[in-house]
Amino acid sequence: MTVTSYTERPGHKVDEADGLSVPWSRSSPKRKGVSARAVSVMTILVVLALWALSARLQLVSPVFLPSPVAVWNKFITVARDGFVDATLLQHAIASLGRVFAALVAAILVGVPVGLAIGISTIGRGIFDPLLEFLRPIPPLAYLPLVVIWFGIGEPSKILVITISMLAPVALSTASGVRGVSQERINAARSLGATQRQVVRHVILPSALPAILTGLRIALGAGWSTLVAAELVAATRGLGFMIQSAAQFLVTDVVVMGILVIAAIAFVLEFTLRRIERVLVPWAGRE
Amino acid sequence: MPHLVLDPHLVLDKVSIHYDGQAAPAVERVSIDVAKGDFVVLVGRSGCGKTSLLNVAAGLVAPARGTASINGKPITAPGSDRAVVFQNDALFPWLTARENVAFALRLRGVAPAERARRADELLALVKLADAGDKCIWELSGGMRQRVGLARALAAEPEFLLLDEPLGALDALTRERMQTTLLDLWTASDVGVLMVTHGIEEALVLATRIVVLAPGPGRVVQTFEPGFSRRYASGEAIRTIKADPAFAAARGELTDAIFEGEAA
Repeated sequence: MTVTSYTERPGHKVDEADGLSVPWSRSSPKRKGVSARAVSVMTILVVLALWALSARLQLVSPVFLPSPVAVWNKFITVARDGFVDATLLQHAIASLGRVFAALVAAILVGVPVGLAIGISTIGRGIFDPLLEFLRPIPPLAYLPLVVIWFGIGEPSKILVITISMLAPVALSTASGVRGVSQERINAARSLGATQRQVVRHVILPSALPAILTGLRIALGAGWSTLVAAELVAATRGLGFMIQSAAQFLVTDVVVMGILVIAAIAFVLEFTLRRIERVLVPWAGRE
Repeated sequence: MPHLVLDPHLVLDKVSIHYDGQAAPAVERVSIDVAKGDFVVLVGRSGCGKTSLLNVAAGLVAPARGTASINGKPITAPGSDRAVVFQNDALFPWLTARENVAFALRLRGVAPAERARRADELLALVKLADAGDKCIWELSGGMRQRVGLARALAAEPEFLLLDEPLGALDALTRERMQTTLLDLWTASDVGVLMVTHGIEEALVLATRIVVLAPGPGRVVQTFEPGFSRRYASGEAIRTIKADPAFAAARGELTDAIFEGEAA
């Protein structure tokens, strides 16, 4: 398989025991114990400290930069009492619901489209230009058109997120399909597989690692489109919460909302990697 | 006149192969006849079209002229009556060794319990009785080729097509696999068509060796070494290889392969 370039797997992982993880820095016993993770934790702590310090010294007005403690307190109150008529959890569930509905739609459309592109010339002729047209357009650009066509209800929000997920899912699937080894297909055919069985039993499982990578990229794209989608007449959702807070200049809620979005994105990414490891343990080991 | 076919035959009749975009044909008018119980080995220098011929027999490549047929019926597509084992095992890494072996049975809709039982039998036959639950990436190269062999046998083919199945293995493993191949061939009545680069391998295994020369690929000589029959009737492989007749045959075959090549 060739499409494992985004994924970081145990087999491919660079040696993290080194401070520097480039090939020309040879591991030396002196640097032992300095792991990349420890450095990352340190970095985060330093950024937090700088943030707290500048808030404490009032280098910037609290309206623009609330202190970490204020943001934390806001997190507690919004989680308990809510903000603009919904608790933090309700906002998060509304947002996650939209993203996952869009993900399901993107899989249902994108995987078959990707298969068509990868397997048939006609499929590629039809879908390639459409996807290449759609892919570079930022969601904010087609959002108004979607609203004109489908109104400001829930479906148009989900649609916008789905569109942003479609290209990564379809293109990853297609490249996964194209990467299937001809020898494997020939082996299956010589064992009596029909074309349909080749797709079902050889091409789909072969492309699965690439498809999962596509889903991971799509989830990232969809999550970042979310805020844009929720700017349009939503009454719930993390994007909506941030947007309302910004209008009232409640900066601590804005900052808190951003951090929550980041945290959820991190958890999603982590979970998907776990799922990959369980579903396609063979990827990168061939 | 349709003639009566008593024994199954895999026949390539005056086959020429011409790949798109190439001026000269890759293979010209080659005829090969593999009967049930035959072990036919194709040898020759690079570019002589031995793998192309195997692919014609497999139904993966269509001949430009001439015909390929099995039991009198023309070969137009791959089929499980001619299972192929490839040089790179081409196993499915998302399946365990047992599930790989059972693949052909699954395609035919055989019940899970029955196909697991058959697969275990075949794994035992290739001396991998304990490896059924193993993942493919846990297996060594030799073990993978054994699984590939068992997978092909599960289709219950009349003919086995082997495309340099031992080419990627180290010398010791290759030697062991040669006896495994001979044991399987002796125990069944399958006809084998095999492509190899190994001169000694060809002599040990073949009932008939077809020597091809490149530019365009054609048959230059045919040998009937008979060493595999001696193995089948109980002689040890070491004794056979130590026989002066074996060394003589090796010299003869080597000369035939490199005949006409500018040194």
